Amino acid sequence: MSITGRRQPLVAVLYSVPLLCEAISSALDDIAEVRMFRASRGDTVGLLRSLRPDAVVVDHPREAAEAREWSEEREIPLVHINLRERKIGVLRAGDWEESAGAGRESIRNIIAGAMYARGGVGS
Amino acid sequence: MRTRVLVADPFAIFRAGLRNPLRREHDFTVVEAEDLRGIEKLVSARPPDIALIDLELPPIGGIAAVQWLDEHSRTRAIVLSFEPRREAVLAAVRAGARGYLRKDISPEGLVRALRGVMSGEAPLSRDLAALMVDAIQRLSDGEETRERLSGLSSRECEVLDHVALGQRNREIASELTISEFTVKRHVQNILGKLELRSRREAAAFYRAAQIDPAGVGLLR
Repeated sequence: MSITGRRQPLVAVLYSVPLLCEAISSALDDIAEVRMFRASRGDTVGLLRSLRPDAVVVDHPREAAEAREWSEEREIPLVHINLRERKIGVLRAGDWEESAGAGRESIRNIIAGAMYARGGVGS
Repeated sequence: MRTRVLVADPFAIFRAGLRNPLRREHDFTVVEAEDLRGIEKLVSARPPDIALIDLELPPIGGIAAVQWLDEHSRTRAIVLSFEPRREAVLAAVRAGARGYLRKDISPEGLVRALRGVMSGEAPLSRDLAALMVDAIQRLSDGEETRERLSGLSSRECEVLDHVALGQRNREIASELTISEFTVKRHVQNILGKLELRSRREAAAFYRAAQIDPAGVGLLR
């Protein structure tokens, strides 16, 4: 069970580029339940508060900024896949750390690793 | 027979985003490259039917990759980017691209667009089609300007340059060390050749040509 009581950890993906969902869902399909939400709908924090995901993935700086405080307070892993600049950032201890890899496996490792670190994945 | 699609983008996660919806379909196979060198290798082994090319593909951009494909294969190239600019769309089409898609296209839209390519369509979203029409109109305006300017002698071009600065015949004569009468004759010739009525119109025409690099090239 995940720390939120679910069978599988929940990853919320706030996307502006639909093709990214294809990549994320295939990368995480056997380790997490992935729910996709169109970005720019407003009230990102409200959405996260009601969803209570174990990890958050965003592809736009706006959602990254909006989700940051919420994510920091709850120590929820936040991953920013910046497609325009071709960078992947992971929020760790209040700072964005750039990920070296950018492939499907790297994304999977980043998210799974972050969730394991806080006890979100497992039995 | 399956359509072989080459996905060329340096960002692996975006390549996966392009690859996955195509692999789900029964009529596509996908190969991948992260730069022009990768494209060259894949094409020399077996040219794909369609290539999806990132506008900023390393090392020198997607337009160069489209050009290379156009020269070395019969692969139909489609360029992809975020927020396409008119110049980029036009450059892609001039380099040989069959279409231009936004990177925020939906998976269903991508599949539909690629099937369209195989039946002879040129994928271009509505807003990009409007950009293209605008670009073509500007191009034809530029060609007309170029044609009209090509009738001027180099001296007439020099005189027109000064006319556009608002200089009087006497000032132009002094700068070009020719007589005021000669300047007047040049101005009359310029107006006649460009089919314009006044020096003010000639100045405006020249300024418009300066905005259009295709036109001003002949004056320099």
